[in-house]
Amino acid sequence: MSGNRETLLYLDGVSVTFDGFRALNSLSLVLAEGEMRAVIGPNGAGKTTMMDVITGKTRPDTGKVVFGKDTDLTKMDEPAIADLGIGRKFQKPTVFEPHTVWDNLLLALAGDRRPRFTLWARQTSEESDRIDAILKTIRLREHRDRRSGDLSHGQKQWLEIGMLLAQEPQLLLVDEPVAGMTDAETEQTAELLREINRTRSVVVVEHDMAFVRALGVKVTVLHEGSVLSEGSIDHVSNDPRVIEVYLGR
Amino acid sequence: MSPWTFRLCLVAVLGGAALLSVLNLALPETAAFHVPTYAISLAGKYLSFAMLALAVDLVWGFAGILTLGHAAFFALGGYAMGMYLMRQIGTRGVYGNAILPDFMVFLNYKELPWFWHGFDNPAFAIAMVILVPAVLALIFGWLAFRSRVSGVYLSIITQALTYALLLAFFRNDMGFGGNNGLTDFKDIFGIPLQESSTRCGMLIVTAIFLAAALLVARYLVTSRFGKVLIAVRDTESRTRFLGYRPERYKLFVWVLSAVIAGIGGALYVPQVGIINPGEFSPANSIESVIWVAVGGRGTLVGAVLGAVLVNLGKTVFTGALPELWLFALGALFILVTLLLPGGILGLLGRPPRRPKNVTPAAEPAE
Amino acid sequence: MKLLRCLLVLLALVPFAARAQDDPYAGFSGGYEDISHAIEALALSGDKRAVPIITALQNGKLYVAPDQSLWIRQDDDLLNARTGEKVAEEPEDLKQVRVNNAVRRAAEAAMGSLDLFSPDPATRAKAAEAVFTARDPAALPALNRALAQEKDSSVRTVMEQARAAVVLAVPDSSDTDKLAAIAIMAARGDLEAQSQLQTLSQASQSPAVTKAASDAVAAMARMQQIWALAQGVFYGLSLGSVLLLAAAGLAITFGVMGVINMAHGEMVMLGAYTTYVVQQVLQAYAPGLLGASLIIAIPLSFLVSGAVGVAIERTLIRFLYGRPLETLLATWGLSLVLQQAIRSIFGANNQEVSTPGWMSGATQWGGVTITYNRLYIIVFAVIVVGALMASLRFTSLGLQMRAVTQNRRMAAAMGIRTPWIDALTFGLGSGVAGLAGVALSQIDNVSPNLGQGYIIDSFMVVVFGGVGNLWGTVVSALTLGIVNKFLEPVAGAVLGKIVVLVLLILFIQRKPRGLFPLKGRAVEA
Repeated sequence: MSGNRETLLYLDGVSVTFDGFRALNSLSLVLAEGEMRAVIGPNGAGKTTMMDVITGKTRPDTGKVVFGKDTDLTKMDEPAIADLGIGRKFQKPTVFEPHTVWDNLLLALAGDRRPRFTLWARQTSEESDRIDAILKTIRLREHRDRRSGDLSHGQKQWLEIGMLLAQEPQLLLVDEPVAGMTDAETEQTAELLREINRTRSVVVVEHDMAFVRALGVKVTVLHEGSVLSEGSIDHVSNDPRVIEVYLGR
Repeated sequence: MSPWTFRLCLVAVLGGAALLSVLNLALPETAAFHVPTYAISLAGKYLSFAMLALAVDLVWGFAGILTLGHAAFFALGGYAMGMYLMRQIGTRGVYGNAILPDFMVFLNYKELPWFWHGFDNPAFAIAMVILVPAVLALIFGWLAFRSRVSGVYLSIITQALTYALLLAFFRNDMGFGGNNGLTDFKDIFGIPLQESSTRCGMLIVTAIFLAAALLVARYLVTSRFGKVLIAVRDTESRTRFLGYRPERYKLFVWVLSAVIAGIGGALYVPQVGIINPGEFSPANSIESVIWVAVGGRGTLVGAVLGAVLVNLGKTVFTGALPELWLFALGALFILVTLLLPGGILGLLGRPPRRPKNVTPAAEPAE
Repeated sequence: MKLLRCLLVLLALVPFAARAQDDPYAGFSGGYEDISHAIEALALSGDKRAVPIITALQNGKLYVAPDQSLWIRQDDDLLNARTGEKVAEEPEDLKQVRVNNAVRRAAEAAMGSLDLFSPDPATRAKAAEAVFTARDPAALPALNRALAQEKDSSVRTVMEQARAAVVLAVPDSSDTDKLAAIAIMAARGDLEAQSQLQTLSQASQSPAVTKAASDAVAAMARMQQIWALAQGVFYGLSLGSVLLLAAAGLAITFGVMGVINMAHGEMVMLGAYTTYVVQQVLQAYAPGLLGASLIIAIPLSFLVSGAVGVAIERTLIRFLYGRPLETLLATWGLSLVLQQAIRSIFGANNQEVSTPGWMSGATQWGGVTITYNRLYIIVFAVIVVGALMASLRFTSLGLQMRAVTQNRRMAAAMGIRTPWIDALTFGLGSGVAGLAGVALSQIDNVSPNLGQGYIIDSFMVVVFGGVGNLWGTVVSALTLGIVNKFLEPVAGAVLGKIVVLVLLILFIQRKPRGLFPLKGRAVEA
């Protein structure tokens, strides 16, 4: 999991201010290719804002966000960043509710996103094969023709992860994937993420410490917009500063 | 939007137009089932309005853009057609000027304004019917969608757009006949306008255009493009993170919708015989939205149904109890939004879930 | 006591002394030149009978007897010009005093200078003004005499200006006098003074005078530009406060609550009709109170529109929270119903709403004409917005309103009855719209369509200023008003409005959150 792999994502001194409130305070973070990273931190630590900055939703006041060798993400908008291969799952599951599970995945499949293509596009057998494969991975095969708005909360979470997979990104940003899930579902999700991590880099933001422990990856603790501590889950949970601000007095 | 309602709608539009024409032309005026010519024009007017409603439904029902200015595109198409019809009058006008329409002679124009040139050519006029609304929609939409103006803000600026055009077209020195607009048309493509056969022909042409527009719209919304569009309507930001550019999708459907509205306007003008700046009034645009709401938003068929029903109601009401019409229309707005969010089609079929409004209310203080 | 008696005797003797020296009533029997001199002498004498005598002369009713005594024919009677009394017996050989153009001019000039001694300051000022315009050197002696006895400082100023004008018009005045006169004219600074100085700077003069005149002209041109600018700003502020009044209520319902009320214009319209009804009732039952009709209408229209607003919120809008587009359609329908209801009750015609006396007329402030109705509307707008801000900030109702709009659940948890607050907030916004109606009844047609004309403008003002920001609304309304008024002379009223609309559309597309957006994480979502 370590070694001298190439850097995939590099945040350097990123600051974001909302009306005087510093959401990110000179945040720096390095993610290697193929790495899975868990990010934890109390409410308002800047986890979601960090995701917003990486995906182009929020422009930082200062600092650099470099993807791959030398792509500056701060100069790009959301679709361009998505096109580069960065996928994002939201805290609240967001799927296209009027569409079927199948259509949700179809829209997420990597491919030409331009209107002139989608206007004439016909579903190819290659596309259906890939959707079938993803449906299997996310355990929603029986629900393929259901309206996605009718799925349960956990199923929606998985569908969204499936959509992320269909995007075939190099980097997945996953915001609280197990919020509201049963223990069994949580376990399955951890397994799913580890499987995804075999081919892709993943950043997971999570509150659930058991889940983070189950992932067994390097952990970054955010506090007041910057990195408080970084290391294995055992390392950070023994860090006195982390204990003070987060894990409880 | 189940296939059978769609097919039924196509049959009703085309068959209805044909049947009315036959009843008008083949039966003697004394026959019990004879349809008078004014009713033919009235039907043609309803179908033109149905095209406007269809255009509104495309952007509101499928892209979530509540337009309060679509009558502007309708009126622009109408004016383009009206300009052609004015040039067709030739020397038969009151002042007998072969080049200048009557109102220009009256306003002491010495020569034809540059933007009137070419409108004596039907092909050019038809091109303008499509191009003028398309170009305006393109510029407006490009500016609006690129900067992510959405929801109520977008609605308000569409209304401001048509309001600005209303003020502009009321001005005499704009060269569009000012307050009175364009009227006194004599013939279209060389055929006298007042003939019953011409009226029936125009009704049938309108029905064909409406059917074609329905087919195009249905193809669009059931294609993968349409799926993206619906995704944009409900969760615009999510589509961006999937790599789609919502502004392009909106712009395409916006321009297409403006063109459909423009063609509707062009078909409307020869059948009612006049186009004036009143067509730009924001009230007209908002009325076209209520047609869609009555029929059922996001169903295409509902737009046609709503436009025809509400306008039929308007004709009956304004004839019998004119002062009650605005009460009835106002009540319709309120009752449909409060009690019948799916419209009439929502009552018929399995209840389609009301599309979620992603557009946030102005809740800045949150 | 003795002294007093002496004085009285002396005073009694004065007229006789004067008459003995030079009888002002003499000279009317001579040639035209004599008559002209006689008129001037009479005018200069300051005699009270001078006015009727010269008027009679102008009307051809003045007669002179062989004994030089003067007589005035009035209808069928003959009056003694000296005493003004009727005489029963007509003297013989009465001759009409002859009049030619020179005499007529002399009479006119004399009448002008006579007014300089009128007991009424306004008449004196008017006469001095006339001299200023005419620049007749003949008026100089009378003017000097009038100046010497003038006590009213403002009349004095006008007289000095008139003298300066005359001095400048006389080619052989000394340079010193002219320079002093130029200074007085420059201080006056209006177009009339400017054109006189303009003439002077072009006529051949000593270099010092020419330079002083052209400098003064340049300075006055600059001043006039500034005044024109100030006038434009005043018109702009006046239009801006109309917009502000119309938009202030919307800034509450739309800006603070997020409710799209397309019937907002009709709340304004209701306010205007309330004003109309108040005037009708007062006319019928208490005509003496008509002057206070607007003052009475202000609280009433607030209550009427506010009550209708509360009713709308309770019966319609509360079912549509979180669905802005549906709210828009439903309230539009409501606006149609309200318009038609008013049309059914009052008719479709414009209703006459009178303007109380204290609101009509105008005053001059430097070079700016200030009409009272515009001025009062500006003042009214300031008061309304000030009261609105204060009520939001300092009252407990305002505190609860802000709490509910910021965090509804938390507010509810704190024991605030949120539905009640919603209704009151909406009622407040509607009531303010009603207040706007009172003001608009003074400058616009009171008809069922009154509100429709303001709805788009109001939304534009609120959106341009930044939703949820009352200060933004103020700045936005005043900016739009001023921009509109400055565009009008360039582009014409309608085109100017179109230009403003198009600019606004472009602006909103560049900055969808307005001039003063509220920033923050919540807004980004």
